[in-house]
Amino acid sequence: MIPITFELYANLERLAGTREYGMNAPTGVHTVGEALALLAAARPELAGSLERCACVSGDTIVRRADPLPADGRIALLPPVAGG
Amino acid sequence: MAHAVLSHEPLTIEPLLELDRHPECGGLAMFVGTVRDHHEGRHVLHLAYTAHEPLAARVIRDVEEDTRRRFNVPYVRIVHRLGDLAIGDIAIACVVRAPHRAEAFEACRHAVDAVKHTAPIWKEEFYADGTSAFVEGCCIRDDLDGPEPTPHRHHSHASHG
Repeated sequence: MIPITFELYANLERLAGTREYGMNAPTGVHTVGEALALLAAARPELAGSLERCACVSGDTIVRRADPLPADGRIALLPPVAGG
Repeated sequence: MAHAVLSHEPLTIEPLLELDRHPECGGLAMFVGTVRDHHEGRHVLHLAYTAHEPLAARVIRDVEEDTRRRFNVPYVRIVHRLGDLAIGDIAIACVVRAPHRAEAFEACRHAVDAVKHTAPIWKEEFYADGTSAFVEGCCIRDDLDGPEPTPHRHHSHASHG
């Protein structure tokens, strides 16, 4: 099992009712996109918002096809609205 | 040490101006965005800005550097406020110094737009009816492909004119 922690921001945090959501992924999960699919299945209330989220590891945007970050942490960033 | 581009404290303009420096610059353009009391017909009482701070800081620094290079201006400073803001509070300040006004205006506008479209900062508005909502913004995912359209860059958000 691979521990993954999703950091949830803005409306995702509101939808989930939590700032972070942890789960254990099967060993066959290798990419960010696969981890997101697991999250969508586990928390269907978030599924509709994930398509337009950017995924971030540290201070870098990672893509769906990228391997899981070594620390297992993925920040999910919904559309931005600063200024 | 690099200057702060995100602030949890109220923003002040004067330290950004550097009027006693850059003798080659005859122009200073500045944009200050303040919190507006309405949005799409709803009465806004106050709002909160949150951010993914490590990436937001990096994005804003990249915007500063890109703006300096693209418009050939020596000085670009951007600061964005985070936390709880009241109506009239400063949300974002951008100062550009340039030899002439044309590039100062253009660079300032570019920098503010770039921050609004790319920095991971979110605005939650609190309305007079007791509800709140996150303002719909710009998708910063960069690997949307396949049958889906390109990332939606809708820009309906603005707490200020």
